[in-house]
Parts: sequence; structure tokens; C-alpha cells
Amino acid sequence: MTAVSVDRLERILGRLLGIGVSASSVCLAAGLLMTLAGGNNAVARALLAAGIGVLLATPVVRVAVSSVGYAMRRDWLFVTLTLVVFGELLASIVAALT
Amino acid sequence: MPAITPAIALVVLTAGVAAGGVGALLGIGGGVFLVPLLHLALGFQLRTAAAISLATVIATSSSVSAARSGTHLINLRLGMVLEVATVAGSLLGGFTAHLFSEPVLQRLFSAVAVLAGVAVLGRLNRRNVVLDPSADPGRLGGRFHEAESGGTVTYRIKRLPVALVASFAAGNVSSLLGIGGGIIKVPVLNAWCGMPVRAAAATSAFMIGVTAAGGAIIYFGRGELSPLAAAPAVLGVQLGSWAGLRLAHHTPARWLKILLVAVLFGVAVLMVMRSVR
Repeated sequence: MTAVSVDRLERILGRLLGIGVSASSVCLAAGLLMTLAGGNNAVARALLAAGIGVLLATPVVRVAVSSVGYAMRRDWLFVTLTLVVFGELLASIVAALT
Repeated sequence: MPAITPAIALVVLTAGVAAGGVGALLGIGGGVFLVPLLHLALGFQLRTAAAISLATVIATSSSVSAARSGTHLINLRLGMVLEVATVAGSLLGGFTAHLFSEPVLQRLFSAVAVLAGVAVLGRLNRRNVVLDPSADPGRLGGRFHEAESGGTVTYRIKRLPVALVASFAAGNVSSLLGIGGGIIKVPVLNAWCGMPVRAAAATSAFMIGVTAAGGAIIYFGRGELSPLAAAPAVLGVQLGSWAGLRLAHHTPARWLKILLVAVLFGVAVLMVMRSVR
């Protein structure tokens, strides 16, 4: 396994966040325009929900990817720290569902 | 919640532009302005306003961090250490909300904002940089190329426990007030922890997405985050942060600090007004 440099990790995380927020914005814009243009159809609602879902998932995925990145660098302290944050976010998801 | 007509959507979008712009400049999500606007001016319920605001904080965080990646301004290591505290704070937020009434929390928040503003003001002309590019930044410090001084600047992190406490506190009030807490993290990192204002802003912008995610997920799961109302705000934030990033690059650190102080004092006044309503 090749070592992932910190620079590379920073760029990977940056790209991931960029893709997440762009995908979310496209869904939200389409859903919003459809709703404003003509009513309350199922496609518009699905697009809006998907937009918010992707938006909220992005930071959670970012934390998980950081953890993998640090594992590939064998930086166990930071693997632990990022896993703790990931666990804390999972706890929020559990709290949201119950 | 008011019906989302094209006119309301446009107002919310414009508010998002302002929040995103300030967010990109100062590394704060802008939720501190968005919540009172949605709640007091547009008549959204406080919880709905807070939920929408948290969604925009995540959007600011993602887009600003994406644009800043590769510049070394984001201190990943420090960010990940502080995230442990900030998300823990957010998880325990419900507990705090139980202990303090909302007006008490808002007055406390105002006091912290004023204190932080005074601290940043006192350091307006002092810079947290070691200009020797070969200096050792330590385990949590960093270095980056700065256009303003035309060189590579190095900084060390001091008083990590203070940064941890500030991050915990920021996370703690996050979902209740609908903020990412950058307004607490940036001045504390700059005034007490040895971080240059640009690096503090970039690192805070990186962290606030994770701070806000916990609260936003809970609001969404309980059906209190309306995607239709959040959509224009999130889209506005994208436009605002695009503009703010272009501006931030050309703004001297001194002016960033002055803007930060103005925002801190403004927020203190807003919070006191909210608490006496």
C-alpha cells in the first residue's frame, strides 16, 4: 500500500466535499425550480430530499475517508481521533432515527 | 413556516448569499445572521430557522474547504483534533439546553462574543507568524504561502486546551442556536492559540460542517428540516461563498480581523436583543 501524503489527503477531501456540495446543489436547484414552477409533485420532492440527504452525508463521508487516509499512513493516533468523530456522528444518526 | 413563494425564496436566497460571503471571508458559517433573519423577519419558527441555518453551514463548509484544498491554509491535523471536542459538544447539546434557559445561553454567548472581539482587537497589529520558513511548526502547527507578505509563513499552536474547550462550547450551542460555531472558534484560535487569521478561518470553515452535521441530521430525521425552505438558502450560500473566496484572497489580515470584530460585536447585540424578546 502506498503512503498517502498529507497533501494528497487534503486534495482528496477537497474534491470529495466539492462533489458532495455540487451534487446537492444541482438536486436542490432542480427541485426548487420544479416546485416554484408548478406545484407539488413527487419528483420535485424526491430531488429536494436527495439534495439535503447528500448535503448532510458529505461531512460524515469526509470523516470516514480521513480515517482511511490516516490508516494508509499508519498514523494510528489520527485514525483513532477520526473514528471517534465518526462514532459521534453515527450516534446523531441513531438519535435522529429513534 | 411561511409558504415558499418565489418572493420568499428570493429573500432566503439573498440571505444565503450574505451568509456564504461572510462564511468564506471569515470561516464562520453565517448562521448567526441567518437564524434571526429567518425567525424574526420572515416568521419561521426558531427550530425551523436553526435547522435551515445548519444546512447552510454544511454547504459553506464543504464549498469553502473544496476551494481551499491544496493551499495548506486548512490545518487538517488540528482540525481533526478539535472535531472530537466539537462533535462531542454537539451530542451533549440537548443536555446543556436542559440546564440553561435559552435567554441565559444567548446572554452568555454575547458575553463570550464581546470578550473574543476585545481579544482580537487587542492583537490587531500583531501577527501570529514566524517568518523564518525553516522554523519548526511543531506537531500541530503549519505553514502556508501568503500572498499578502509574499512569503511562506510558519505558525505554532499554543494553548491547545483552550482551543478544545472553545470547540466543545461551539458544538454545544450549535444545534440550539443554528450555528456552526466558527464565530467562537476563529477568534479563539487567532487571539489565544497562535494561529494566523487566514489559517484559523480556513480550519474553522473545514470543521463547522462536521459540527453542524450532528444537529442537522437530528433535525432532518425528526422532519424539522424542510428541504424546500432550505434549498434557496443553500443555493444562496454557494453564490456567496464563491464571491467571498475571491475577496478573501486580496483582503489584508488586518481587515479580516476588523471585520471579525465588527461581526462579533454585531452578533453580541443581536443575541442580547433575542434574549430579551
